[in-house]
Amino acid sequence: HAQAPIKLKFQSTWPNKDIFHEFAGDYVKRVNAMTGGRVELEILPAGSVVPAFQMLDAVSSGILDGGHGVAAYWYGKNKAFSLFGTAPAFGWDADELLGWIRYGGGQELYDDLVQNTLKLNVVGMLTGPMPGQPLGWFKKEITSADDMKGMKYRTVGLGADLFKEFGAAVTIVPGGEIVPAIDRGLLDGAEFNNPSSDLVLGFPDVAKVYMLGSYHQALECFEILFNKTKFEGLPKDVQEILKGASDATSSTMMWKAQDRYSKDLEAIKARGVKVLQTPRPVLEAQLKAWDTVIANLSADPIFKKVVESQKEWAKRIVGFRLEYEPDSKFAYDHFFKTA
Amino acid sequence: MFLSDPALGILMLVLFLIFLMLGFPIAFTLMALGVGFGYFTQGDSIFNLFVQRTYSVMANDVLISIPLFLFMGYVIERANILDRLFKAIQLAAGWIPGSLAVATLITCALFATATGIVGAVVTLMGLLAFPAMLRAGYNTKIASGVVCAGGCLGILIPPSVMLILYGATAGVSVVKLYAAAFIPGISLALMYIAYVIIRAMINPSLAPKLPVEERNVPTSTIIWALLTSFFPLVALITSVLGCIIFGLATPSEAAAIGAAGAILLALAYRTFSLEKLKDSVFLTARASAMVCWLFVGSAVFSAVFALLGGQRVVEEFIMGLDLGPVGFLILTQIIIFVLGWPLEWTEIIVIFLPIFLPLLDHFGIDPIFFGVLVALNLQTSFLSPPVAMAPFYLKGVAPKHVSIDEIFSGVMPFIFIVVFAMALLYIFPGFALWLPNYLYGG
Amino acid sequence: MQSLLLAVDRINAFIGKLFAWCIVILMLAICYEVFRRYVLRDPTTWAYDVSLMLYGALFMMAGAYTLSRNGHVRGDFLYRNWAPPTQAKCDLVLYFLFYFPGILALIYSGWGYFYLSWLLNEHSSFSPDGPVIWPFKAIIPITGVMMLAQGVVEVVRCWICIRDGDWPQRLHDVEEMEKVILEEAAARQEAITNAADREGTTRGAL
Ligand code: NA
Ligand code: NA
Repeated sequence: HAQAPIKLKFQSTWPNKDIFHEFAGDYVKRVNAMTGGRVELEILPAGSVVPAFQMLDAVSSGILDGGHGVAAYWYGKNKAFSLFGTAPAFGWDADELLGWIRYGGGQELYDDLVQNTLKLNVVGMLTGPMPGQPLGWFKKEITSADDMKGMKYRTVGLGADLFKEFGAAVTIVPGGEIVPAIDRGLLDGAEFNNPSSDLVLGFPDVAKVYMLGSYHQALECFEILFNKTKFEGLPKDVQEILKGASDATSSTMMWKAQDRYSKDLEAIKARGVKVLQTPRPVLEAQLKAWDTVIANLSADPIFKKVVESQKEWAKRIVGFRLEYEPDSKFAYDHFFKTA
Repeated sequence: MFLSDPALGILMLVLFLIFLMLGFPIAFTLMALGVGFGYFTQGDSIFNLFVQRTYSVMANDVLISIPLFLFMGYVIERANILDRLFKAIQLAAGWIPGSLAVATLITCALFATATGIVGAVVTLMGLLAFPAMLRAGYNTKIASGVVCAGGCLGILIPPSVMLILYGATAGVSVVKLYAAAFIPGISLALMYIAYVIIRAMINPSLAPKLPVEERNVPTSTIIWALLTSFFPLVALITSVLGCIIFGLATPSEAAAIGAAGAILLALAYRTFSLEKLKDSVFLTARASAMVCWLFVGSAVFSAVFALLGGQRVVEEFIMGLDLGPVGFLILTQIIIFVLGWPLEWTEIIVIFLPIFLPLLDHFGIDPIFFGVLVALNLQTSFLSPPVAMAPFYLKGVAPKHVSIDEIFSGVMPFIFIVVFAMALLYIFPGFALWLPNYLYGG
Repeated sequence: MQSLLLAVDRINAFIGKLFAWCIVILMLAICYEVFRRYVLRDPTTWAYDVSLMLYGALFMMAGAYTLSRNGHVRGDFLYRNWAPPTQAKCDLVLYFLFYFPGILALIYSGWGYFYLSWLLNEHSSFSPDGPVIWPFKAIIPITGVMMLAQGVVEVVRCWICIRDGDWPQRLHDVEEMEKVILEEAAARQEAITNAADREGTTRGAL
């Protein structure tokens, strides 16, 4: 006779309507299907058991069995955490970051940080590469780094340290709380992540300028966490499915994002939002600020070890790509550029 | 296990309702039931959930403004500026029918708005305005209704602690709530005033005119009295409220500045001292602890209730009733009204509202609009017997011959006015939604 | 015995009142931040974290003090009409059934929560310069211990009330305006009014 399914409580760090919660749900659906009913992950949005920023603690202590989020959310515990989600803009993309995780020694460094340094009882899988993120939503256009001086601005992870160098007053809040925070005057400007999320979270209601193409979070990936004790108690094949499904969802997520993000950017423009590119002087200031941030934080040997390993990988892999790949803009312009 | 999880959730809720009546501090009843049921069903992990929930109340940036507004209220209350205010308004309102009652309502509304402390307003006005009205030959019922109803307006008219609590519970913008409650709050005060004037015009013996010599005061005296009492307080309230509604400052920033402004005002009146500052500080700590510990208890209780699936049972039950949005609104408002008989607004908002709030989305009801309806409704929780704080307070300070039944029947018409205002608001939601939509877009 | 109880009362009141001054610091800190932000256009990086900590410390540390003044809200529509010994018996049972288990859970879980944060030297994740957060988390178990001690005092109060037939006197302290006024009025009229019945059960009147 059929055995009762293993039920696992799985909470995301995203609001119900956000496309990120949908990504988390895609993973859950896939696991439930692949295990043929032996495992039942129950997906919950941020706040249903614990607030977004407490998900890691909740998984580690067993309140939740698992969760879906980003490593940058835990950077209060150790700033190196952010390197495993949103790393410095060395010219690489999130797919190449995940390459480093698998073949560049990233996973070992991650496990060491989580399990040995921070003594957290979790198993983490890095997944779901994201494209570069917009500079964000503002009341007025940003033309120079100085425009952000004194601004109450939301970002996460090392991006927060970066904009501190700009003189911004950075306040870090979870995704679902940004628009309410702008609403009550806690923030003047903010970025979350991508056109689909930004649209559904209501940014066009509170700001009318959307600046794209920034180096503060040029790459980021998601993180799927499980309670380690719970995970290790699962049958070996189920453990393998949980990992494999994370890889599989990585790809479907990327493909779904291509479709949705591009459509939703058009929808944002249709709402009368001014969509602009982040100007070059701001980008230059960002790269300089990255130098400072990396130099400062490298005082911590763990941070230093991880970031050096990333640099080594990025130097080789991006160098290869630039030498190897044809210029996509050249071809695009040939076919699609009108006049 | 004898019971399914959702059944345990419902059992937990029922037990809470029973234990609630035993009069034990509610925060700890909630905490214990949450932890107990949580331990029974979730095991050790409940302890982590408990501490994390506690911590999220400690790190809740919406609630920061509560102690600040309470502090501002206590400073104003302790600064003894009520007599001055009442006298000035009384002089200015001398020509209106039922002038003393009108002056009482305006003073109550203004003072209650600035302090947000209902009990203090009702007792102080019970000592000040109530005997004055009786001396002038006012009908006891009208006089008591006016003091009680007027004293409760402060929790509706922003900046109100009740709306912050609702905002924190429902996860909606306090700023928008303030904008939405502004017009209904002022309108309710005006409806009270209109009611009193009409009654006085129909039957002048209910509210006799003041003797001529008391009415004939030189205009300059009136203006001076208003300038030194009415306007400073109005300026303080409107600047605090203006900063919030026009997005110049967050509610907690405005509350901090309001508190500083209240201290300056009290110093200007030379009615403030270190002793009074200390009193305000200590009372603020106790009142904040009372509200925020209730939040802590409710946070763990509601988390376990949701984990057990109790929330889903309630939702399925209400969905199963096959109500439309109108039916749902009426049902919830009736439940809140009835809860207001034995309970006070803090418990209702923090403990019971979270059960209905998730359903608003399903019925397509704007949580801001719902919040204003609830705020109006909760006016009655102070006024409706058997537990009606405002009449109790008034009874405590009123002359012996005034019976509690007289006060209750005096309050009744004002409860009807509140219900009437709710019906109006329901038919014309624009009363609440126009200002926030105008200011912040649709 | 009695003096030991009063000592616990006094200590909790002292700590509660000490932390009550957080409200003044909170007011000043936010006013300063407002000045820096709107006048100098140079906001602080610490205002957000500091305001949360001041607010959190204020209400948590005042928990036991508030209990010692019987200031936690009760659903007392039946309770307040009971004779004091009945109230005391009911309270006594519920302190053991509800209060102590909950508070012990708070101490137990709060300690683990603080200890982990302390091991990591955890910083706030709300800003890039987030201050250390473990002292703030330490408030949870500390509050728990204060509440536990105060709970014991309250239990003894119940016991005295059952023995003597009336509630023992609490330490004198500043009171809500309406309570003061009502007590004065009751004394003046020498009449037991409906509202004066409530003196044993202050509700925070907001
Ligand atoms: Na971002
Ligand atoms: Na009532």
